[in-house]
Amino acid sequence: MSIDVKKVKKNAFRITKQRGKTALRIRVPGGHLEVKYFDIIKEIAEKYGDGTVHITIRQGFEVPGIDFDKMPEINRMIKPIIEGLELDIGVNIDDPEAGYPAAGTRNVSGCIGNKVCPFANYNTTDLTRKIEKEIFPNDYHVKIAVTGCPNDCIKAHMQDFGVIGITEPQYDEGRCISCQACVKNCRKRVTGALKFENYTVVKDEDRCIGCGECVLKCPTGAMTRSKEKYYRLVIMGRTGKKNPRIARTFLNWVDEETVIKVIKNCYDYIDEYIDKSLGKEHVGYIVDRTGYNVFKEAVLKDVKLRTKAKIADYIDFGGYMYERNRFFSEVSR
Amino acid sequence: MGYQLLNKDFNDILNQLKSEYKIYGPKRFENKGRFSDTDVIGYGEIDKLEDIVLDEKTYFSPKEIIYPIRQTLFYFTEDEVKVPDAPEDKVIVFLRPCDINGIKRLDTIFLENGPYKDVYYERLREKVKFFMIECTEGFDSCFCVSMNSNKTHDYAVAIRFNEENVLIDLKDRDLLEYFENYGKAEEFTPEYIKENKAKVSIPYPEKVTNEMFEHEVWQEYTRRCIGCGRCNTSCITCSCFTMQDVYYDANKKVGERRRVWASCQIDVFTNMAGGHGFREKQGQRMRFKTMHKINDFYKRFGFHMCVGCGRCDDVCPEYISFSKCINKLYSIVEEGNNDEK
Amino acid sequence: MMKNNPYLPVSAPITKITKETDIDYTFRLACDIKPQNGQFLEVSIPRVGEAPISISDFGDGYIDMTIRRVGKLTNDIHELKVGDKLFIRGPYGNGFPLEQYKGKHLIIAAGGTGLAPVKSIINYFYKNIDELKRFDLLIGFKSPKDVLFEDEINKWKEKINVTLTVDKGDENWEGNTGLITKYVPDIKIDNMKDTEVIIVGPPIMMKFTSMEFLKLNVPEKKIWVSFERKMSCGIGKCGHCKIDETYVCLEGPVFNYTKAKDLID
Repeated sequence: MSIDVKKVKKNAFRITKQRGKTALRIRVPGGHLEVKYFDIIKEIAEKYGDGTVHITIRQGFEVPGIDFDKMPEINRMIKPIIEGLELDIGVNIDDPEAGYPAAGTRNVSGCIGNKVCPFANYNTTDLTRKIEKEIFPNDYHVKIAVTGCPNDCIKAHMQDFGVIGITEPQYDEGRCISCQACVKNCRKRVTGALKFENYTVVKDEDRCIGCGECVLKCPTGAMTRSKEKYYRLVIMGRTGKKNPRIARTFLNWVDEETVIKVIKNCYDYIDEYIDKSLGKEHVGYIVDRTGYNVFKEAVLKDVKLRTKAKIADYIDFGGYMYERNRFFSEVSR
Repeated sequence: MGYQLLNKDFNDILNQLKSEYKIYGPKRFENKGRFSDTDVIGYGEIDKLEDIVLDEKTYFSPKEIIYPIRQTLFYFTEDEVKVPDAPEDKVIVFLRPCDINGIKRLDTIFLENGPYKDVYYERLREKVKFFMIECTEGFDSCFCVSMNSNKTHDYAVAIRFNEENVLIDLKDRDLLEYFENYGKAEEFTPEYIKENKAKVSIPYPEKVTNEMFEHEVWQEYTRRCIGCGRCNTSCITCSCFTMQDVYYDANKKVGERRRVWASCQIDVFTNMAGGHGFREKQGQRMRFKTMHKINDFYKRFGFHMCVGCGRCDDVCPEYISFSKCINKLYSIVEEGNNDEK
Repeated sequence: MMKNNPYLPVSAPITKITKETDIDYTFRLACDIKPQNGQFLEVSIPRVGEAPISISDFGDGYIDMTIRRVGKLTNDIHELKVGDKLFIRGPYGNGFPLEQYKGKHLIIAAGGTGLAPVKSIINYFYKNIDELKRFDLLIGFKSPKDVLFEDEINKWKEKINVTLTVDKGDENWEGNTGLITKYVPDIKIDNMKDTEVIIVGPPIMMKFTSMEFLKLNVPEKKIWVSFERKMSCGIGKCGHCKIDETYVCLEGPVFNYTKAKDLID
């Protein structure tokens, strides 16, 4: 059997442990899709696969048990999915009957966002689609997820780029009844950024993480969301076998445009600094090699930050290294 | 006096009225809803008829216009107490019959309860003219008909909003000069909603004994209510407040005494200096509020406090329905039905 | 129009401060207020706060208030000196029906700071002891260091049957110990019809002391209590002191037991 493995992988089919069988991977930007696409997935799974489908951690679908020779047929079948979930949101794919043209940059995942969730500070699906449009198709290995609020249900902290929606609470003193629901809640559930002094809520700007919980708690509408939507961008979180780590804040209180531009710029950065001797290199390891400042300079190219924005001066990514932190005492008997 | 006016003529009149009046109505506050990308419908100054939101109920009632959430009673300087001047502008409020009836309840507390009139309330209240929005459909949670507050004749102007024109019943002769040059005379009598989707039966106050106070029905609310106070802050009839002294400067020489809305559902409402409180459980607080709205006030003044606007239903984050609570009570008191339903 | 502003306080200079205990001071204010026994004032320090405080005594050109240090405002009041001013408005509430007690056997049971609102009655009848058939006074405090008005209590003993007790004594305490309720049965009541009982103190004390008197077959209508609530306005608007259809600031703070027993917070 002759299979061009690299081409197959790039076409979003997987090399599986079972010789001769592949698995189709379907992207669902933001993890939200019309149910009509289920019919196609169902048909592929039943006709070509083993009748099952795996829901991936990145919010895609993986249909296993497919013969390699069925790939062209299946690619034609998923045309409506590629059209609906990619072309229609502005992604440029030359031949929608030829399947996905790249698989390096993973599906942009998103929590359910403010379509449903009361905590979310924005429409996450919309943002995932905007990001997808800018960065797909692309072979570089980058993982991106967007989440509606600092609860981070999507685990943005485990991504190369994690986008966290925040808001700047607006306090209308004249509507405040001193119930302190916001103050108590912030102390208990968030960072304790609010204090109650002289019958007025006082905010410690440095402690406020913009979650918007105070807005939710306020019974009079004294606390409302800012008209501007803000984001915190956390970077270079990852799992993996070398150095799993939580992403750290790179930018805070930036706008959507900045988020998208920075992510886009990152591809130029990768292009310039990737170790071309390797088949592929995950962006996080490139940053490890070049250092944060090189990354920072590259991704902020042509980015106009507003005055409210904050940039990390330095990031100590931390996490742990398997090769250094693998020693454990044996359980004494 | 009845008139039929084209919308644009009515807007002209509003424009002219603005020289003398501040005009408030139910309007949309964009992106000011609790959740992101949501609006809130509340009371604010309006410029034109199109600003008035008629197809949604307001989240907050119009009471804040005459009974501000925070109201300065007087300013303190080192040796002086100074009462702030009353606002000069007269006020027009577009509101529905239930809310006009609700303001009657506020009048009762502030102007009739106890030996003194509340001068701060009075001086705003006497400046207000009601522009009654004819309301024949209501909204899902309304139960004004059950509370007998679906009707009122206390208005300066009653308005029916049609697609391109408005019908007006003008009662207040002060406003005649504004209207008489416009539109054509046409008799108009406002209609009132005859039946709500939600209905309540109120137990007769004399049948509500102290045993009811200890009834297990209230335990449900201890479990469900989170004591956020939204039912109070959205209510047209809730009138409770707390006094606050604040200072403006670091050395505390200058400041003010003000009052702010208080909520019987929120902690510390009954707490005295030293911390002792009288209703610690949410169920007790729910009972207190319920009794005030459909029992105690009636015993004191001869009509119920609750006007059935249903806002407390609309705003409760725990989906506690006040009309359901009233009906449960009725079922227990009048029908001896003690089953939890 | 603000002439009739019921919220406007007037200032009154402090002419005397008496330390009763570590946390209870009596402040004498120079003012023309002629209250009834048992009424209260709204007392404030501008920019700090206002609170309802019962009048403990009064006379020509003065009123006394015994104020316990329990919070922000009362802490600040305790810092004041003679010559400083307090702001007051009132008096509010109904007061005790003094006339009704005349010619009767009066029993007053006061617990802790509950002694303050009845002190003026005690002093009135101390001066006019002939106006009563008999006067029994039960006073209870938590401990010897909480005893209020010690000198006056000793003075009252000259004419009044005073029983002073503390919940728990110390090595120097030689008097009665135990709760007030323990001493209620000792009171000799000859004629229920001619007896009037006033009970003032913490809610729990009033409840159990009332029950003791009821056990002695004192009719409910002969028992009077005074409620303490968080009155923010004092004039029937703010709603904090409302119980059922009753406003403690208007119809109270003094209630006949027949009414008080049905007042469930």
